[in-house]
This record gives sequence, structure tokens and C-alpha cells, in this order.
Amino acid sequence: MIKKHRNLLSYSFDCLSRYRMRTAVIVVTFLIATTMVSAVLFTKEGLEREAEISVKMAPDLTVQYLKAGRVELIPIDYADTIAKVEGVKSVVPRIWGYAGISTYTFTVIGLETSSIPTYTTFGSIESGRFLTPEDAGKGNIVIGKLIAGLLNVKVGDDIILLSESVEANKFHVVGLFSDASSIYTADMIVMSIEDARKFFRMPDGYVTDFAVYVEDYEQPANVAAKMSFMPNVRILDQDLLLRGYKAAYGARGGIFVTLWTILLVGAALVAFSQAVVVGHESKFEVGLLKTFGFSTLDIIEVRLVESLVLGFFATSLGMVLGYVYAAYLNAPGLVDILLGWAFLPREFRLPVYVSWSSVFSIYAVTVLPLLITTVVPAWLNAITDPELAMRRAAA
Amino acid sequence: MIELRQITKIYNKGKFNEVVAVQDVSLKIEDGKIVVLTGPSGCGKTTLLSIMGLILTPTSGEILYDGEPVLESSDYWKTNFRKEKFGFVFQHINLLPQYTALENILLPLYAKDTDPGDFMDRAVELLSKLGVIERANYLVEQLSGGEQQRVAFVRALIKDPKYLFADEPTVFVDEDTSRIIYRLLQDLRDKGKTIVVSTHDPELIKIADEVHRMDRGRLVQTK
Repeated sequence: MIKKHRNLLSYSFDCLSRYRMRTAVIVVTFLIATTMVSAVLFTKEGLEREAEISVKMAPDLTVQYLKAGRVELIPIDYADTIAKVEGVKSVVPRIWGYAGISTYTFTVIGLETSSIPTYTTFGSIESGRFLTPEDAGKGNIVIGKLIAGLLNVKVGDDIILLSESVEANKFHVVGLFSDASSIYTADMIVMSIEDARKFFRMPDGYVTDFAVYVEDYEQPANVAAKMSFMPNVRILDQDLLLRGYKAAYGARGGIFVTLWTILLVGAALVAFSQAVVVGHESKFEVGLLKTFGFSTLDIIEVRLVESLVLGFFATSLGMVLGYVYAAYLNAPGLVDILLGWAFLPREFRLPVYVSWSSVFSIYAVTVLPLLITTVVPAWLNAITDPELAMRRAAA
Repeated sequence: MIELRQITKIYNKGKFNEVVAVQDVSLKIEDGKIVVLTGPSGCGKTTLLSIMGLILTPTSGEILYDGEPVLESSDYWKTNFRKEKFGFVFQHINLLPQYTALENILLPLYAKDTDPGDFMDRAVELLSKLGVIERANYLVEQLSGGEQQRVAFVRALIKDPKYLFADEPTVFVDEDTSRIIYRLLQDLRDKGKTIVVSTHDPELIKIADEVHRMDRGRLVQTK
């Protein structure tokens, strides 16, 4: 039986080259559709994965102050109250906001350097060092690699940041975060809280929020519950941040995936129409093969191999192109919509991640419809009397 | 031996366009003979030939091969029976146009558990015998009608079938090709093959052992 299956396999490949137009139309259509679907899916997953990493870098809890339901500056003496809550390991006051360099906008975070715990993570430092208590008020900063690349600066260089009142502020770069694609650190400028207060002209006695770290034996959610006695505060935990990130990327990605899935359905229809275009020829051929002694299973095997080869080839190539489009070309035309961050420079490298589930689902929405649209008509022809199949095809 | 018992074939049965193509035909064909079905166009020759070749299911009746009824057998069994025993030559030749003559000839072997390359010698022998060996690697569309018909015969005979069914094999070919076909059919008969041919060709009728005339789906005369 091995020789027979080898013969059928050989015949399938012959058919692919014989029906060149159908093969080309299906490959090109599936290629375009899967390239775009793959780019969106891989980027969406990359963003969600980055979000997870970012959230891990974030404090266990973030405490903000609410006034009339809006986030306002929080009095710094709240830190003492928070620190007394059972299970709280440390409280780090933060002042953060946005700063412009040229046409770009970056996130500026001011930390109380004396209270930066050793267990906090802001991403690894590629060169230089992180801030120490000695950096307080000295204008020393650690910047994301993206900023370094944009401004062409390295550790030891100075940069000028414009404040809201358009005053030039000079800062000295002492460290670079390592990961160019990390959403969390790419556009980040970390400085001492004294420098941030001065830069943002923030009043004494107030900060933007508190980063709260809990004891290892305690659950952040439990500690957050214990803080509920404090009026006018909002407590964000990592889960909430992650849900927020994923909702943002997931919704945008979902819209695109839906759109491109519609396109894939269109691709399947193209495949079907091609099957119909060559249908009479194919129908005739099936009748002829049956006459020669090809069984219904033989016919299905031939068409199955054809469709699998076509589908897997076009889809695999589409996924590779989708990956290249997203990871190396940064998904032009897609990145702005997917990220929705007007202030993120184009130089930001999209985080792209390929999961088995994505690969499997892309294959499922491409190869399966192709199989159905080609194998089912072949099967229907194969169970018809060969003479009738040929006669109908010729009619 | 092929035996047909009260074979009837009705197309579109029960519909406004119902056509009775073959009606109540009974016939016995002994092995090793050339049997001709003749009659006016549309009399049911091709339909009867297709029914005998198990590529068309009759509406009623029975077919026996060597005494065994076959119509109730599975599609798989009938397919295998065709693969092992039958060769077909169609009126419209039915070669696949994108293939060469040789590729068309070897095509029936793809359904068998064998290497088509092993049949190359036989293909060459048959192509030489029918005078188209030099056209073996030509695409079908590069062949004349007569050459195509000869290639179709080689394709039908490549598996050395016991039964050959040929539908109007000389209708679109020149005299030279017709003469080659007559000689081929006689040689096959001499080797014990059973040949059933539908034709109007008087020369072909002359070499037949039996001639069955059909009219409006019925057998009306046997010689």
C-alpha cells in the first residue's frame, strides 16, 4: 500500500502545478489574510505579555487620592498611615507625570531615593546604575533605552527636559534600562523625588501616589482591604492594572482580529470560488479517475493532500511575513491603532510574541475552511457515478 | 462472461424531463470476443456500455461477471473491479490536456500499489505498436485527434485488462488510425480479451463476432 500512497501523493503535487491559477490565487489570498491576522495576533499577545511583565515590575499596591472622583495629589503624611497598616512592608512616595523632548513625550517618575527598597524592580540596567540616596536633588536620571536611542545619549551625557512652564531643566544620565521593547521602561525617565517635584513644580507636602510593598506572607488584596478605612483613596493592585492593560490591547486587538477573520472568511470564499472555477475540470477528472479505479478514499486523499500542502504553505509563509511585518518593520499602519499611544515614538519596537495557541488558531481558521471547500466537492463528485460526473462536467 | 439481465436506465426518473435511455436489455457476452453495439445516435449504446463498465448504475436489472452479480456490491468493490479488470476508451478521448501522452498513459496505475515506472516497457511497446512512440513526451494538445485516440487506447490497455470497453473509437480518427485500431482489437481478441465496442463504423462491425443493434433503448437485432 505504500507505493499506492506514494503515487497518490505524487499525483496531488502534479495537480498543484497543473491548476496553477487556482494554486496562485489561493496562496496569494491566504498569504495576505494570514500575514495581517498574524501581525495583529502576535503583536496583541506581545503587548499583553509586556503588560504582564510591566505589572510584575509595578508595586504590589498603588495608592492614589481621589477628590470628587478624580485623581488628585495625595498628602505625603498619608504615608505614615499606610505604613501602619498590618502587612505593609514599605511605602514609597512618587511624583510622576509627562515631559516633552522634541516632539516626543515621555513618562517621568520621581522616587524618594532614600526609601527605594532593594526588592523593587524597574527592569534591568544595561549600563550605568540605578538611583541611590546620594542622587537626591542632584539631577541624576536613569532613562529607557528608547529615549537614549532617540536622543543619541549614553551614560554620562546630559539632556535637557522642558517643564510645563517651558523651562529648560538639565539632567545627567547615570543609567540606562536594558530592554528596548519593554513598554514599562522604554519611555521612562526615573529621577529623585526632589528633582521631580522641582521639575513639575509640585507643592511641598504632596505626591502623585504611593507605591506600597507588602510583606511576603501577606496577600496584596488583603492589605488593600485593610486600607479601606482610609477615606478618599483608590487602591490599585497588580491584577487591576493587568486587567486594564489587557482590556486596552485586547479590545483593539480583538477588533482587528475580527476584521481580519472576516477577511479570512473572504479568503475561504475565494478558495471556494476557485474550486468552483476549476470545478467542472476537477469534476471531470474525478469521474475519470474513478473510471480508472481510484476509490472515493483515494480521491479524498489526493484533494486532502493538495489542500493541506496549499493551506499550510500559504499560512506558514503568511505567519512568517506577519512576524517580520510586526517585529522588524514595526507594523506600519497598525501600530498606532493597536497601541493608541500618540506619544509613543515610532522608534519603539513592538513587542511581538508567538504562542502555540495563536499559531494553532491561525492554522485552524485558514486550513480548515480550505479543506472543507475543496475536499467536500471532491467527495460529492467521487460518490457520483463516474459516467454521470464526467457527463455533468462536460455539460 | 458478461451477462446483462433486464437492464433499464431512466434518467431524471419521475421528472418532466425523464428519459428512458436503456429499456429491458438482456444480453450475454462470451469471453474472447469482439462485441459491437450499434444503432442510431441516442439509442442508448453509450449508456449500456457505461452500465457494463460499472461506471453508471442502472435503474433496474442485474449484471453478472463470470456468473457473479455485481450491482449490489459496494462502490469500493466495483472500483477495485474496474481497476483490475477494465480498460476504457471514451468517445471524446478524455486525456488530461496538461499532461504528456506518457503521463496520461501511466495515470491509471497511480491507483494501484505499484510503481508506474515499472510499466514503462509496456507503455513503450504499446505506443510503438500503435505508431505514436515518438509522441510519448508531447503534451496532449500537441497531438492530432488520431494520435490522441491511439494514446487513449494505450492508456486503456496499460494494465492489461480482461475487458475493454470502447465508445465510438474510430469516429474522430482518420482511415490509417482506424486500420491500426481494427488490427489492435483483433490482436486483443486473439489474446482472449473481451472487447465491447459501440460504433457506427461498418469496417469495425465487419470484424465483430457479435453485433447488437439498438433502437430507442432496446436491443432490436442480434447477429
